[in-house]
Amino acid sequence: MDVDPFDDLGSETFRLTCPGETLTSSQAFMRGHGTYVDNEEVVASVAGIIERVNKLVTVRALRTRYNPEVGDLVIGRITEVQPRRWKVDANSRQDAVLMLSSVNLPGGVQRRKLESDELQMRNFFEEGDLLVAEVQAFFSDGAMSLHTRSLKYGKLRNGQLVTVPPILVRRLKSHFYSLPSGVDLILGLNGYIWVSKHVKDSEQEGEEGFDAEAVYSNQNDDIDAATRTAISRVTNIIRILATHSVPLTDVVLLEAYEWAIEQEVDVKDLLQEDVSDALVAAVTARS
Amino acid sequence: MSSRIEILNDGGYRSDGRRQYELRDMTFDMSEQAGADGSAIIAHGLTQVLVSVFGPREAKMRSQTLHDRAIINVEVSIAPFSTGDRRKRARGDKRILEFASMIKATFEPVVQTSLHPRSQIDIFVHVLQQDGGVLQACINATTLALANAGVPLLDFVCAVTGGVHAAAPMLDLTTLEENDLPHVTVAVMPRTGRVTLVSMETRLHVDRFEEIFRLAGQAGSVLHKEMRAAVRERTKGVVDAMGSGLRTSDFAEDAMMDDT
Amino acid sequence: MAFKTLSKSEKAYIQSSLQASSSFRSDGRALQDYRTVALETGVVPLANGSARINIGKGSDEGGGTEILAAAKLEVEDVEHGDGVEGGRVSCSVSCSPSAYPFASSGTLDDLQHDYTSLVHSALSHPSLRPANLSILRGKKSWLLSLDLVVLSDCGNVYDALFMAARAAMWDTKVPRTRSVEYRASKNRTGGGTGDMEVDDEQQSGLDTRQVKAATDFELEDYWDEGEPLAGRETWPVCITLNLLPRLHFLDATSSEEAAIPHRLLLAYSFASRSTPTLQGMQLLGPGEVDLVHIKALIQEGEKYASDLYTSLNTKLKDEDIRRTDKARLRFAAVR
Repeated sequence: MDVDPFDDLGSETFRLTCPGETLTSSQAFMRGHGTYVDNEEVVASVAGIIERVNKLVTVRALRTRYNPEVGDLVIGRITEVQPRRWKVDANSRQDAVLMLSSVNLPGGVQRRKLESDELQMRNFFEEGDLLVAEVQAFFSDGAMSLHTRSLKYGKLRNGQLVTVPPILVRRLKSHFYSLPSGVDLILGLNGYIWVSKHVKDSEQEGEEGFDAEAVYSNQNDDIDAATRTAISRVTNIIRILATHSVPLTDVVLLEAYEWAIEQEVDVKDLLQEDVSDALVAAVTARS
Repeated sequence: MSSRIEILNDGGYRSDGRRQYELRDMTFDMSEQAGADGSAIIAHGLTQVLVSVFGPREAKMRSQTLHDRAIINVEVSIAPFSTGDRRKRARGDKRILEFASMIKATFEPVVQTSLHPRSQIDIFVHVLQQDGGVLQACINATTLALANAGVPLLDFVCAVTGGVHAAAPMLDLTTLEENDLPHVTVAVMPRTGRVTLVSMETRLHVDRFEEIFRLAGQAGSVLHKEMRAAVRERTKGVVDAMGSGLRTSDFAEDAMMDDT
Repeated sequence: MAFKTLSKSEKAYIQSSLQASSSFRSDGRALQDYRTVALETGVVPLANGSARINIGKGSDEGGGTEILAAAKLEVEDVEHGDGVEGGRVSCSVSCSPSAYPFASSGTLDDLQHDYTSLVHSALSHPSLRPANLSILRGKKSWLLSLDLVVLSDCGNVYDALFMAARAAMWDTKVPRTRSVEYRASKNRTGGGTGDMEVDDEQQSGLDTRQVKAATDFELEDYWDEGEPLAGRETWPVCITLNLLPRLHFLDATSSEEAAIPHRLLLAYSFASRSTPTLQGMQLLGPGEVDLVHIKALIQEGEKYASDLYTSLNTKLKDEDIRRTDKARLRFAAVR
């Protein structure tokens, strides 16, 4: 290749590619995700954006399953209870694994695992349960292992789930947000988003306050009508932004929420095409 | 059965007004289908096929999982109203199973299955309308759906049907032509020119075969251009919509610094 | 469908929202609101009538419930074949594996069977049979095969199936036929015009050509699409009432269906404007309803069904006009 394929990478447009397109020579560059080497050439294997870090060339696919990294915050749903472990669907290529040894157990955080714990695993998590966790490590076959050993993590209650394409959720400093009108948001990097009633910080703090009943409870708190309306509004906003491929950040979500309040749009009317277009236009214009 | 309609008239036109090597109008729709990781609707003339791809995801049947690569599962369903005469085929129909295994065999060397051990890629093919070239439509639609789902592929796979009428080769046959002519479906990977599928159910002279094979390869690269444009347009649409969100990407800044 | 698993707290959240004093649904709809319904007829060129319907595109995790329906007419022999005097209607539903990506093929087959039996029993009932399915009395009749494909399920498949079926039937055109008859001319001697006088009694006893007359039909007008099914107003609409104690709601999403599996299906036909008839009814899911309550529900259901019927008819008429216009434009363009 005579032309440096990365000439315009710094400019405003992104370089797009498709499977089977030659990107560059494999002698000068290293192949990263989304590429392979054939005949001393680096070739794209997915459709997406070409990215380069020094000598490493990668292609990022736009619509794909979640690509986990250690330390990521994810939301998952239990699919199966197995001996000493749970299988968790986290929108990845294989189900994640949550080991019994990777969760906090009732009766003190540092307590040893007992045989009785193994027998009552469904008391902690059962099939269908949603949880927020952190990616801890990978198994040799590429499956991720999760842990919930923090008071921020654990079973999810008091709200509803929305799913979006994982690429719309960026890695940020924090994935826990509170919006006005008492709504909490957890943006899982795997594209699962939990919208729920706001929980006061004080209730979460302190090892002393660790209460097994509360952590593994299936019971929802009392939620008033205003909060339910707000939860639905936020859910609909996220759906709209996702269908228009708008990346979700705290700023965008807050702006969209304020727009919806300002315009006095009814929650269900948000999904009307003209209203959702107006919302997206308003949000993208401001940012 | 020979039809009363002239397959190729003296002026060199076919029954639907096309020239010998002319392909039918193609349309691609890559918008999202509920729940699928990627999907595509493709039409070659009146033939219309919908493909949805799920995965790579946790394999449904644990006994079938492979420890070193993903398994590809293809299921084909043919709508009873897709042909002139209504015909309902059960899921276990021989013809359908054969079709599914042909599609599977076509894509197994193309999908980089070794990247996703122990998982499963489901390809659900729906034939909505048939007017010749069903296999070619299925393969082309599957390529687009896989690309749409972000499944790593070595290359596109582009398939074309070719036939011979009285020593005159023709491409992209309709049902009418398929009934009368010996025909062959060829799937090529345009980058390397490698062929991943040749399917022929009729007899054809070796010399003719060579000619039609070469032509189908050339038609494949024409198709490739169209299909690539469709994928690019789709990618560009999403990139444009994401706009500023992508620009703050952690990689781009590094790259810019490197360039200066 | 029990295909979507929810956690206990998600179910409880959905249930308590619905039962709250100002009942609330996850997407903000009121209890009796439908999601956006998109409908298009004439989508399958090889069928006599077809429709595609989508409920809730973009509102619930992307695609919405999508169904493709197509009706095809075939000639059946009444005397010797499977045909039935006056014609018959046969329905079958198939489910795309992409609608239920987690279901095994066995589950899928069961599901198809359930849908098929429900739709078939409601639509093939003789009281709904269109009058113009007969071709030749006692000899030939039309078989109308209605095929429905569930392309994706995001809740409320039953209502969608009936709407799609209704739209496809509405769109169906029956070819005009004319019966023709051949009578064996009484004299076998010549190219006979029957002018000559021949004695009938002198026929050979060995002549086995007993057929005195043969009747068949021919298509009257090749270029015309035909006439619509007679009584196309009568095809039923289905209302699924999702039941919770003391309240019910319509058009459940798949999450709502997972949280509230107890449902009552009601299919109404509006033959004459004033008195709708109940064409089918089925209680799904665990739990029971007492008789008084059922009666009340049927009354309520009738109201919803009549609303749905009115709006569906308006839409179908719009579709007719849209397609005629489209055809006219195309014709003008060709000229």
